[in-house]
Amino acid sequence: MEAVFAARAVTKFYDMGEVRVHALRGVDLELYAGEMMVLLGPSGSGKSTLLNILGGLDRASGGSVLYRGFDITAASERELTQYRRRHVGFVFQFYNLIPSLTALENVAAVTEIAEAPMRPEEALEMVGLSDRMHHFPSQLSGGQQQRVAIARAIAKRPSVLLCDEPTGALDSETGIVVLEAIDKVNRELGAATAVITHNADIAGMADRVVHMSNGGVSRIDLNAQRRNPRELHW
Amino acid sequence: MLGTLDRKLGRDLWAVRGQVLAIACVLAGGIATYVMSVSTLRSLERTQSRMYGEFRFPEVFAGLKQAPRSVAARLAATPGVEAVEARVVAPASITLAGYRQPIAGQVVGLPRGGGRFNRVHLHAGRIPEPGREREVLVSDGFVQAHRLQPGFGLEVTINGRRQQVVVVGVASSPEFTYQLAPGSIVPDFKSYCILWMHAEPLEAATDMTGAFNQVALSLGRGARVEDAAQAVDAVLKPYGGQGAYGRKDQISHRFLSEEFRQLRMMATLFPAIFLGVAGFLLHVVVGRLMATQRGQIATLKAFGYTTGALAWHFLKFTAVVVLAGTGLGVASGAWLGAGLARMYRDVYRFPYLDFGVDWEVGAMALAGSLAAGGLGTLWPVLRAAGESPAVAMQPATPGRYGRSWLELPWFSQPTRMIARNLVRRPVKSVLSMAGVAMSTAILIVGGFMSDGVDYMVFAQLRRAQLDDLTVTFFNPVAERGLYSLRSLPGVQAAEPVRTVAARFRFAQRSYRTVVQGLEPEGRLRRLLDTELRPVELPAEGIVLTDYLATMLGVRPGDRLTVELLEGSRAVREVAVAGVVREYIGVTGYMRREALNRLLREGDVATGAYLAVDEPALPGLYERLRGVPAVAGVAARAQAVRSFYETLAAQMLTMALFNTLLAATIAIGVVYNTVRIALSERGRELASLRVLGYTRGEVSYILLGELTLVVFVAIPVGLGMGYGLVWFLMHSLQTELFRIPLVIRPSTYALAALVILVATAGSALLVGRKINHLDLVEVLKARE
Repeated sequence: MEAVFAARAVTKFYDMGEVRVHALRGVDLELYAGEMMVLLGPSGSGKSTLLNILGGLDRASGGSVLYRGFDITAASERELTQYRRRHVGFVFQFYNLIPSLTALENVAAVTEIAEAPMRPEEALEMVGLSDRMHHFPSQLSGGQQQRVAIARAIAKRPSVLLCDEPTGALDSETGIVVLEAIDKVNRELGAATAVITHNADIAGMADRVVHMSNGGVSRIDLNAQRRNPRELHW
Repeated sequence: MLGTLDRKLGRDLWAVRGQVLAIACVLAGGIATYVMSVSTLRSLERTQSRMYGEFRFPEVFAGLKQAPRSVAARLAATPGVEAVEARVVAPASITLAGYRQPIAGQVVGLPRGGGRFNRVHLHAGRIPEPGREREVLVSDGFVQAHRLQPGFGLEVTINGRRQQVVVVGVASSPEFTYQLAPGSIVPDFKSYCILWMHAEPLEAATDMTGAFNQVALSLGRGARVEDAAQAVDAVLKPYGGQGAYGRKDQISHRFLSEEFRQLRMMATLFPAIFLGVAGFLLHVVVGRLMATQRGQIATLKAFGYTTGALAWHFLKFTAVVVLAGTGLGVASGAWLGAGLARMYRDVYRFPYLDFGVDWEVGAMALAGSLAAGGLGTLWPVLRAAGESPAVAMQPATPGRYGRSWLELPWFSQPTRMIARNLVRRPVKSVLSMAGVAMSTAILIVGGFMSDGVDYMVFAQLRRAQLDDLTVTFFNPVAERGLYSLRSLPGVQAAEPVRTVAARFRFAQRSYRTVVQGLEPEGRLRRLLDTELRPVELPAEGIVLTDYLATMLGVRPGDRLTVELLEGSRAVREVAVAGVVREYIGVTGYMRREALNRLLREGDVATGAYLAVDEPALPGLYERLRGVPAVAGVAARAQAVRSFYETLAAQMLTMALFNTLLAATIAIGVVYNTVRIALSERGRELASLRVLGYTRGEVSYILLGELTLVVFVAIPVGLGMGYGLVWFLMHSLQTELFRIPLVIRPSTYALAALVILVATAGSALLVGRKINHLDLVEVLKARE
């Protein structure tokens, strides 16, 4: 299978005054095309740092990250912006929608700057929000806002979809609806998807589960069978 | 001992130091203007009242042709009159070795025994010694302008008689704080001076031994100036009395009163604008602070802090800004005030001027800033501090937005964001625009000063008065006497003029000024309409300065009562034939021949306008001084030059000051607008950056809003500037001068440019912050 990402000996440290905090201590990891990967670990294990580096939001202190052969650790700020713009879809714990734009317009904000995107309506339809397209974020529930965020992330037809605790701010029932949406776009669009969570119950929906602790990969599990998010509960 | 909350306050202030500084500067601008103008006003008023007492400034003044001294005693016996002093005053033309321009002067007789009124203040040298008839005092402005020391000599021609005098002292007097040569529009200390000399030689030179031509009076308690003036007029009428008047018509007093009025206006209008803008900016910044600290406030309340304690904590934020702004404002206001007082001393020759900032002025300044800060911040602080902790700890729901009337279907999403954000808080958007517009308007006011004055000088000295020299005679001279003027070398033309003091009456109103009799087709002195086109002087009737017609309430066709105060002293009804546009002084104009008929005099003139070949000028001055009938000579070119010498530096200083003030507001408003927008929308902008928006695209959203505000505000501000100028022009116009409402295109352009530069500067400052948005940090936290 083709590796979308190949991370080699990635390290990341932050200098906090006199203390150096090691967030990543040499991570080797691949993300394959079309796969669903769940990154599992307690807070402080380095999973968000890794995701941010993969998504071009942060830079590694050492090692290399190849995105289809392009080394994003050596990319300029401008190249990283273009990289995010073309290839990466992000979903965050707190949705980060633009409050002054409707659901449709939030999606359009991305399709307007993307190459060959889908229509915003189409993206919202995929996450089951056709009837809420003209609502403003303040008029949507948390789960609905998160699904708008997913629609916004996938409307550009990204090669990778990176989700950082997408259900972290939601109750389990709403969370499952959101995970279903992520599962659906992964299957239908074939975007390599990485979902960060500290909730082990979510791991069942993945092809591969990467366990992280203390800034490194401690274990990788392969699920023989991806479970439908409907079957998950916590 | 600083509490924990106070340390937090310090850090909060430091975090928004740029905005705090900008607001403090706006506040300081208003306070500085207030302190500067009020302190100058109070110092001038104090000086005026002190010197009026110390140098005995009289209450009633009267000029006359000539009367024996015994008449003064009769005046002293008039009811209501406390004391009288009579003296001789005469015009003179003066030569100073090494100075080739004509110098006009007024010679005042020093009363025997020190004098009851209008005592002089000696700046340098000494008082002329009794018996030394050639010793004189000269006004301090003249000595300063020519950089002289007492001990120099002057050649003085009085009544055609030349004499050499020695200046032994430099003096000033409250009656001559404003020294305006006849026919000139601003003080010109190089070519006009006051001389004080012993009474005897002056009386001898003017053929008035044992007589007087000017009288000053003080009144007893409760006596009215109008009654006294009437009584004085009755006594002096047979002696050619020219009408008694009170202090309010005394020229120095009059001009000072005008200055006081302008300072009062400056002390209210500008500080009000600045404090209003500062209050608004504080409202925005503190409101934003409260929004970002909502969670903290809830936590502190959960720990048991009271609403009052928290409200006080945030109000201290305002207090710090207010105190900093006021401190800065009072200090710079005191400094500027001292400078302004010095500028006043250059024009108004006070014997002394003690400039100081009273504590009441400082207290008022503080009260004003506290009121502005309090009005701006009290409400948001109380509302936020009063919120229940349980509610405040909930995450804020996304801001409520709706579609706006400002957007079009084809707008991109970033443009849509700009439109909706502007419309969502219309009051804030409008106030931001108002702030920028106000500073544009203030810039226009700054530029208008010089535009208006330039135009005034242009109209008066390049369109209306086209003579090179104005000659005035001691006594009316027969028109044929002008032949001798015309025959002098270099004189191309000479036009006679007859000037008579007169009182105009219409309905209940009256005004004392002069009537000028001009030649019907004169070329050297013209009357102009509103478009500055020459107006033909009608054969019959009187033409009035437009402002005079308005003051009297007359219109062309009305019949005006003209009471001549010289010669025949005729009282006649004269038809108002028209009005003419003039910016300086107020005058009635008639054909000279018609005026002389009214005076029952022959073909006479009291002066002449001359056109002269420039190279012949110096020689001509010399010849004119030898003509006994000539009382004074004034040069127009010199008048224009000295006008700009006196005023140009001052106008430039004021314009710079105004520009600085306006730029302070512009930067304060613009910088705060973007800074707040960045704080409110940093999260949105970072989200967009994460989604792949470039820095430029993100900056567009932030700066687009600002640009829109500024581009709407500039034209509005240009209009407001015109309105403000109109208001100032109307409230400052007097019979002394009216600054015309003329604003050059370059003034508008400069105002817009200053605003654009201020905007670009603020945008650059904030743009740097956009580049450093922390994408990771912003996404982790909830708003």
